[in-house]
Amino acid sequence: MRRLTRRQRISAAALTALALFFISLDFAGGSLSDAHGGASGAMGSLYRGSDSVIGPLRRFVQGIPDVGQNRREIADLKQENAGLQRQLTATQADAATAKELARLQLQSDSTGWQLMPAKVIATTPSAGFEWTVTIDVGSREHVVVGQTVTDGVGLVGRIVSVHSTTSTVLLVCDPTSGVGVRDTRTGGLSLAKGSATNGLTATPIDGGADLKVGDQLVTGPAGKTTYAPGVVVGQVAAVHRSADGTVSATVRPTGAQTGLNVVGVVLQTPRTVARQPITPAGQP
Amino acid sequence: MIASRVAVAVAGLLTVLLLQASLVGPLTFPVPVSLPALLVVVVAIYAGPGIGMGFGFATGLVADLASDHPAGVQALCWLAAGVAAGVLGGLAVQRAYSNRAAAAMAAAVATAASFAQSIVLAIVGSHGATVWLALRYLVPVGLTDALLALALVPLVRWLLRAQGIRAPRPVGEVITRVDVAGGSYVGR
Repeated sequence: MRRLTRRQRISAAALTALALFFISLDFAGGSLSDAHGGASGAMGSLYRGSDSVIGPLRRFVQGIPDVGQNRREIADLKQENAGLQRQLTATQADAATAKELARLQLQSDSTGWQLMPAKVIATTPSAGFEWTVTIDVGSREHVVVGQTVTDGVGLVGRIVSVHSTTSTVLLVCDPTSGVGVRDTRTGGLSLAKGSATNGLTATPIDGGADLKVGDQLVTGPAGKTTYAPGVVVGQVAAVHRSADGTVSATVRPTGAQTGLNVVGVVLQTPRTVARQPITPAGQP
Repeated sequence: MIASRVAVAVAGLLTVLLLQASLVGPLTFPVPVSLPALLVVVVAIYAGPGIGMGFGFATGLVADLASDHPAGVQALCWLAAGVAAGVLGGLAVQRAYSNRAAAAMAAAVATAASFAQSIVLAIVGSHGATVWLALRYLVPVGLTDALLALALVPLVRWLLRAQGIRAPRPVGEVITRVDVAGGSYVGR
């Protein structure tokens, strides 16, 4: 143990008195406010100056206890992000569906057909050899075999089997599919058969028909077609002439064959309105 | 010699206040750990009560003025801590305590100083300080002080041994002069 010298005892007493004096002075009326301000300002400058050095160290040490919590927060944020992503995807899908429905509505308005909107719920189960899709409407919605299916723009296919709540659609590109078509430029009739990934192959009924690249083909009354008339089937992409003079054309389908989402089943086409005979000009 | 010791003291004072404000305080919040108080105590243990009280008062007063509570509170408490540590430190020096033992002693005195400071602040009604809070944080402050002291003790010992900072060797004080057979005898 050390002992305080007399001088140290006096110094300690003086400093204690000084400290008590400062306390009473500052406590009573804030007479040292200027001194506080000056010291705070000076030390504040030093704090700011040293923060660039000490700050990163402090933040690193402060972050150590939160490592687990940060991981949890990251996991929560990831989950939230996934939820938002799902919402965004759903919103985009809804927007696409709304667009497809609007197309169907437009087609219904322009043709007067009753269209039953349906969603594609499954594709062919036979791994690509059979171009069919399953839609979520069936006999309950008055769907029957043979009805035309459209995507609002072009021909998709026709119903080949119906169940109570689902139906199977044979796409026009299926190799077993055939549809009678009319060339909108010449009015010539052809038979378009599915060629799977190659689209369709159209063979004119009249062997010498004039088919040109770019011609648009619509469903027409050829053969035993059950398709609603006037639905766009596709566009001639290439014309082939064989040695015997037979003409055939590769047709690029207008209606989507893959990536189908919403389609419309043509339930009923309007009855033909009784036409007025053509009479010579000037006569009623 | 004195100038270099004062310069080192000022540098140490500013450094420890900066570290307290920007590192120790934020990291140990809300436990009121005080690195400056601990430094005062460790310095006092090895340098004696005289230096301890001066260093404690000066450091406390600067810390007081840079704070919002009434000036003089920390000056008073750290002055007392410096004196107490200086007196008790005689044991540590005489018996050549190990760093760990000296750190334990420093932590005990610094914790007592922090407790006393909390009590004084509670008395003057500053910043919601209460006796209950002072008691509640007593153990955490003690443990943290002990950890900090383990690092601080060897550092301060090493600094105080440095050339130019080392305390002057104590010299005998002339307390009486006796004339012996025409000559003179000077003794204590």
